[in-house]
Amino acid sequence: MNASFENRLLVVWLALCAVTIVSLIVGSLDGRVAHGTNAAITTSAIGIAVVKVRIIFREFMEVRHAPILLRRLTDAWVLVTATSLLGTYFAGLAFSMG
Amino acid sequence: MQLANDAAKSSGYVPGQPDMWAFVIFESFLFTGYFVVYMVCRTQSPELYLQSQAELSLRIGTFNTLVLLTSSWSVARCVQAAREGAFQSALKQAYLTMGFGFVFLVSKVSEWAQEIQKGFGFSTNEFFSFYYFLTAIHFLHLLIGFIVLGVVVYQLRSPARRSLELVETGATYWHTIDFLWVIIFSLLYVMR
Repeated sequence: MNASFENRLLVVWLALCAVTIVSLIVGSLDGRVAHGTNAAITTSAIGIAVVKVRIIFREFMEVRHAPILLRRLTDAWVLVTATSLLGTYFAGLAFSMG
Repeated sequence: MQLANDAAKSSGYVPGQPDMWAFVIFESFLFTGYFVVYMVCRTQSPELYLQSQAELSLRIGTFNTLVLLTSSWSVARCVQAAREGAFQSALKQAYLTMGFGFVFLVSKVSEWAQEIQKGFGFSTNEFFSFYYFLTAIHFLHLLIGFIVLGVVVYQLRSPARRSLELVETGATYWHTIDFLWVIIFSLLYVMR
């Protein structure tokens, strides 16, 4: 197998696994306290997830070589998903406080 | 095969059938809809969701994520090997992908069994309804993924077939199972 591509895939996989472990650590920061709403953990969790998804799109799914339409569509999905999830979460927080 | 490899490296190459990409984009937006409904419901009763979420194992969720990421890696290697004409190696990677998919399947079923044993079923509360709905619909996609990988293996086994486009199409589908799980993991297991 092409050594440079093989190495690239290996680095991508290692990076994805590493940030998954970061998610595990982030998710354990509050000792999994049942009643604790935590905006920092939520933002990190969703942020890490969408970064991982974009890496999967660009590297594993080879979108980085794809026509601009596909690159824009996948980026748009990542952006729409991140914005709507975090937007809903923070709107909910603001509503419950206000 | 070298030509296909060069094409992949140049700008403007769509791996696999465009129809599969249309399906992937459609499915992704559909899942975003599910995720937003989950988030809206979650903001209505955050304590219930946090209490219920504490009953899930973050470690099992992490393990499942690592397994699917590894399966994505192996299917990406399968595509690369097929492009280079190394069909035995591609076949090996396709089987490995199936193996990791099977590990996820067993782990997910045992997680469901544990939750049900603890008394947390689909109708226990709203969080668990979402938990079973999102994980089950994802699981259904995983089962279809095994059929897709079966097509990839069928293509790779005979020199008479070996359509690179179908191998890439199958891989595109499998990666979709992976990245949808990445979001599900963050919403059900990690966020607060």
